[in-house]
Amino acid sequence: MKRKKIIKYVLLSLLVVIAAAAAYIYKEYNRTHRDTAKLKADYNLPAATLIREFETDQQSANKKYWDKVINVQGQVKEFARDEKGFISLALGDTSSMSSVRCSIDSLHTKEAGSIKKGDQLAVKGICSGFNADELLGSDVILVRAVVNKKNK
Amino acid sequence: MKSLLLFAVAVFIISGTSMAQKYYTKNGKINFDATAPTSPEKIEGVNRTATCVIDSKSGNMQFAVLMKGFEFERALMEEHFNENYIESHKYPKAEFKGEIKQNDAVNYSKDGTYPVKIKGKLTLHGESKDIETEAKIIIQNGKISAMAEFSVKLDDFKVSIPGIVADKVSKVAKISVSCSLEPFKS
Repeated sequence: MKRKKIIKYVLLSLLVVIAAAAAYIYKEYNRTHRDTAKLKADYNLPAATLIREFETDQQSANKKYWDKVINVQGQVKEFARDEKGFISLALGDTSSMSSVRCSIDSLHTKEAGSIKKGDQLAVKGICSGFNADELLGSDVILVRAVVNKKNK
Repeated sequence: MKSLLLFAVAVFIISGTSMAQKYYTKNGKINFDATAPTSPEKIEGVNRTATCVIDSKSGNMQFAVLMKGFEFERALMEEHFNENYIESHKYPKAEFKGEIKQNDAVNYSKDGTYPVKIKGKLTLHGESKDIETEAKIIIQNGKISAMAEFSVKLDDFKVSIPGIVADKVSKVAKISVSCSLEPFKS
């Protein structure tokens, strides 16, 4: 009699574990990206400073900023919208060839729609690295970027 | 005499503008699709921050793309792409250097669609491999669009797909490139 009870409990707890694992896998599998607008910035700095850091020492800057949430402030040098409505911006000094290039998250194109060249603003995004180019100017690239009115 | 001079200046200016030799973009689109035929879902990522330069005179072209900039619909898929397959922390960049074959057949100052062949070297995941593909160059109002589609064997670039996901992730990835280029003014 006692043994039957033990087996019952073992089976029951096993079932609970399996159900929990299944729920976890399901949730993990369907996990969506976290909204950049809701992420806290790991770093907060002007575009020119970020560019300078990459230009002086690409390796250590990459180590520091790669895959991190960065909030940068700067002047809009370029604003482009493609045929599907995706927006990309370049921030930085107009006197320099280099910029911070931000590809705006498709969830947040609306807020970025009214931006004009010359605007001063803050953009928060995830750093995907540095593209050094002597001819065209080097770029620090931010993806899933959002215009950050709070500048935090 | 004066009109002759004016004519010479005009010719100089016109030839100068049509001689814009380099065209570029920093918002090039590259699509990566490794969906296996048996997969119930799409294994697909897109990157919208590729740099591309085409030299219309020599036909040389170059692409550079940061791997971390590929966006997948599912967060988990993107993490696997970066951490397990492409190892973007170790190999952050992919590059293509090549040339347009029959570049002479492309008239960069005349609107039209020009089918071309591209040949060059693709460096991905720390491995380089020769690639040859058909492409299209479209000239419209002084702007250039470049489009290409080709397949890469992931094995060639030492990207291994574990057996457990082999029914979903294809061993051959389809890469589609689409860029709108502008004349480069130095």
